[in-house]
Amino acid sequence: MPLNDADLVARVLLDDDHHAFAELVRNHQSPVRGLLRNLTRGDAAAADDLAQETFLRAYKNIRSFRGEAKFSTWLYRIAYNCFREEARKRKELVGIDERQLESEPDPHTVDPALKQDLMQALQLLPLHERSAVVLCCQNGLSHDEASRVLDIPLGTVKTNVLRGREKLKKILAAWGPN
Amino acid sequence: MNENLQEDWLDARLREETPYIDDAGFTAKILHSLPAAQPRRSFRGLILICLTLFGSVLTYIVSDGGKFIGVGIDRIATLPVLWVVILAAVCGLVLTSVATAAAVVQVRDGRSG
Repeated sequence: MPLNDADLVARVLLDDDHHAFAELVRNHQSPVRGLLRNLTRGDAAAADDLAQETFLRAYKNIRSFRGEAKFSTWLYRIAYNCFREEARKRKELVGIDERQLESEPDPHTVDPALKQDLMQALQLLPLHERSAVVLCCQNGLSHDEASRVLDIPLGTVKTNVLRGREKLKKILAAWGPN
Repeated sequence: MNENLQEDWLDARLREETPYIDDAGFTAKILHSLPAAQPRRSFRGLILICLTLFGSVLTYIVSDGGKFIGVGIDRIATLPVLWVVILAAVCGLVLTSVATAAAVVQVRDGRSG
């Protein structure tokens, strides 16, 4: 019988069991890497580096996981913090404008072959709406859980999800058959 | 009604079209980067107790039956009461400081991440 997250975390805490931690990584690597790919607008290499940093931080700080939230929510929070730190570092190094990180690319400049691709449409949303939509609509987090992951008020999460959905619908409608 | 149906359809598409990312050696890479496993806590405790006992026995033998303790107590007994009070206060302060520092470090470690 496969062990659940709580059992695996207990094994890591009690015995420093690397195999149990490997099982946790296997169970959560896809959604964590997927979230980071969405945050980095599809940069798979950067996303995987951040995912590696996320799991290493999770291992080092696993004692601070008290089981009050789901393990996946706790991981998403670490992943989002890793992304924010990296974005801040990049901004300092190459002088990227904050508005550039939040900007919306023009839907008309997208390769026609990629149109109708929902994942491509998602990349067109600004970061604050994209992260809220990905966490709530794709990864199945509640608004409350997403507000903890993103460290923003609950009302802001709801607004960002609503606006993100509206924009997604508009983009997909614009790409639809005439 | 139509709006709700469209939102449901959008959520369903978002969930369905989320690609599963194949592990492709990712977990192995993480495992390779983990720090070496620490000895088990209970084992560590046993080692500490054994070392403490060994140190105590060694000190007792080397100090000729712990005579220095008796000598120390005699010296303290001859000190003025004020000095004994100051000595006790200083010992108490040192112990409290060490315990507080250890507690602060533990709380800080627990909050990070």
